[in-house]
Amino acid sequence: MEQTKPQVFIRTHFDLCTGCALCKTACSMHVFGGYNPNKGMLIIRHLWENLAHIPVVCQQCRNAMCMKVCPVKAIYRDEQTQAVVIDQKKCISCRLCSQYCPLGVIHRDLETQKAYKCDLCQGNPQCVQVCPFGALELGQENRQSGE
Amino acid sequence: MAQSYMNQILHIELSRGSFNAFEPPAWMFDDYLGGKGWGARMLLDIVPEKADPLGPENALMFLTGPLTATLAPAMRACVVTKSPLTNTFLDSYFGGYFGPEIKYAGYDALIFTGKSPDPVFLQIDHNGPGLVPAHDIWGQDAIKSNQSIKAKLGDDNFKIATIGPAGENQVPFALICCETNRQAGRGGAGAVMGSKNLKAIALKGNKLVKIHDHKKFNLALSRANKEIYDSLDCQGLMATGTAGSVEFANETGLIPSRNFSDGTSPLAAKLGDKGQSQKLWLSRSACFGCPIACSQMGAVRTGRYASFVTDIVEYETAAMLGTNLEIGDPRAVAHLNRLCDELGVDTISAGACISFAFEAAEKGLIESKDDLKLEFGNAKAAADLIEMIAFGKGHLGRLLSQGVKRAAQELGPEAEHLAIHVKGMEMPAWGPRGTPGMGLAYMTADRGACHQRGFPAGYESTGMEWKGKPVKALELEGKAELVFSLQNYLAGTDCLVKCDFGAMGVSPETYALLLNAATGSDIQASFFDELGERIWNVTRIFNLREGMDIRDERLPQRFVEEPLPSGPHKGHHITEDDMKYLLKDYYQIRGWDENGSPSLETLQRTGVRLEKKFKL
Repeated sequence: MEQTKPQVFIRTHFDLCTGCALCKTACSMHVFGGYNPNKGMLIIRHLWENLAHIPVVCQQCRNAMCMKVCPVKAIYRDEQTQAVVIDQKKCISCRLCSQYCPLGVIHRDLETQKAYKCDLCQGNPQCVQVCPFGALELGQENRQSGE
Repeated sequence: MAQSYMNQILHIELSRGSFNAFEPPAWMFDDYLGGKGWGARMLLDIVPEKADPLGPENALMFLTGPLTATLAPAMRACVVTKSPLTNTFLDSYFGGYFGPEIKYAGYDALIFTGKSPDPVFLQIDHNGPGLVPAHDIWGQDAIKSNQSIKAKLGDDNFKIATIGPAGENQVPFALICCETNRQAGRGGAGAVMGSKNLKAIALKGNKLVKIHDHKKFNLALSRANKEIYDSLDCQGLMATGTAGSVEFANETGLIPSRNFSDGTSPLAAKLGDKGQSQKLWLSRSACFGCPIACSQMGAVRTGRYASFVTDIVEYETAAMLGTNLEIGDPRAVAHLNRLCDELGVDTISAGACISFAFEAAEKGLIESKDDLKLEFGNAKAAADLIEMIAFGKGHLGRLLSQGVKRAAQELGPEAEHLAIHVKGMEMPAWGPRGTPGMGLAYMTADRGACHQRGFPAGYESTGMEWKGKPVKALELEGKAELVFSLQNYLAGTDCLVKCDFGAMGVSPETYALLLNAATGSDIQASFFDELGERIWNVTRIFNLREGMDIRDERLPQRFVEEPLPSGPHKGHHITEDDMKYLLKDYYQIRGWDENGSPSLETLQRTGVRLEKKFKL
């Protein structure tokens, strides 16, 4: 099926990443109302004693396994942004989605036990806003959905 | 209390293995703000008079500020304790990721007292705090033990502070290595940690740091970040880190050479940003929340010193383990730096101890051997000495591991001349003979010789304006007031806990906006100067109580007796009369008597209220 709307996604440039975690921290504020990068929806893998930092963000997969494995269909594609979004109200905390995310960017919140993932901040991702070096940038493309 | 604090201090009593979390009293927030302020006041009130810094009664405190762990740019955390090197107040600041994690774990401060019967590390996660046996990690270096704890806990996301063998062996200038490779370097906090049998602290928190007024905070953030981007000093740091200071210090005659004999060195060009970028640098790394990202990561790719990763060789290290030792290969200096980081030794004190040994050997005060040629330029001997110091190995290792003050006392009067320290703290890498204001900053700094408690050399060596007038390098008049003001502002903002590099861009007004938006307070920019002056009196009271006196407030003999051999200030030195003038003026401005003791009127004016006592 051909999509007519451009899909927003976040492009990463690890060579520009300094590991400052501003992105994760801004993300946690957006999602939870307070700062804690451990609760952000993206990951930075610090390699070689900080010689390299690899940001890992949700790809809003064309073929989203998390969406397919969700037993209660709490995960769906948002009409506006084409982001793969979790409806926390429907989530039953079964953890299948995080098991089937190969990037490891679906988190189970310790307090609510619900699954959380990047929803692109309704199309205006805060992580991209705060990145000082352009390691994260907004991309758009027409992509074929695998649904 | 206010929003961006966690409103909790965790006290860990290591002798019993007990934990007590409690809310700090309201006056601590109002009068001392956080970081250095809390640390200074807590140390004064908690640690018994004349306590052994390596005994159970000394407190080891890790402190954050109200802006730590937020998006406020370039914030840090600090360690405060009584120093085993100086027997006085010690505060040591670190960036990286460990400081913010203290707040995400739910605390504004961690306070350790007592001594664990066995080696342990503290683990805090969402299940709360616990002490974990650390026998298998004891003996490992500071970097390896970080990796070992992550493997043991099965989680790379823990943020860890560790000591190396030097801390375990209680070397009085042992450091604490904070996630990742950010050192609480000076004055021996690592030895205090080792004396408590505390090998490490591993934190992973899930608490949120809240903000009082989001809209105002975001506006203040934009303003702060713009000030950083617009600042030429910050731009310089983004490009080169502190390695850019090497050639500047050389051109201005401030860089140490041959145990501070001289203020210029032909090796400076190789060790600064050009030499390092050519031989080492590959990528950049930032501390938490920092858009400056002054750390240049690299590798020694081939040759004798080949190693997989190097962190930037900071100015202090490039000078103290480089020009000061007449070692000009940045790969060799990076190797010595790495050795200090692994063993857990402050590079500044290590450099001063090694140059002391090299010069003492030259003068026949220490024996030089064929397998350990104690001579300037010998990088292998420097590496061997670092190892000997960390383990207290042999007579020479034990001698130097005490620091230059005690080593010189042991060797006799001729060696005193070669011991470059103030109050026992080895001199950092900015020689003051052409900058008497800097000399005064060293004499009076509350933790001994320190370039971070006021940096008038920045004005003196550039002619920058202070209060509308260009500062003249060699003039004494007005220097005390300059030092007083710089000291107060830095101490006040060390309660935030700001990085000095961020403060090169961010204005006092913007710090006030950030603080007010984060906490709901209503302070003006001048609050930081007032707070800083209060703290300077608190640390003064502590230091005088612990036995410091006016005779300790002097520069090393070399700077008083030997004119500078080269550079723009060739021929200059700071005389006894100069020191007397500067100190007298300074004590007067501070409201201290002729013995450097704060008057009651001064304590009242600055808001030091001793009738209140912080209690654990």
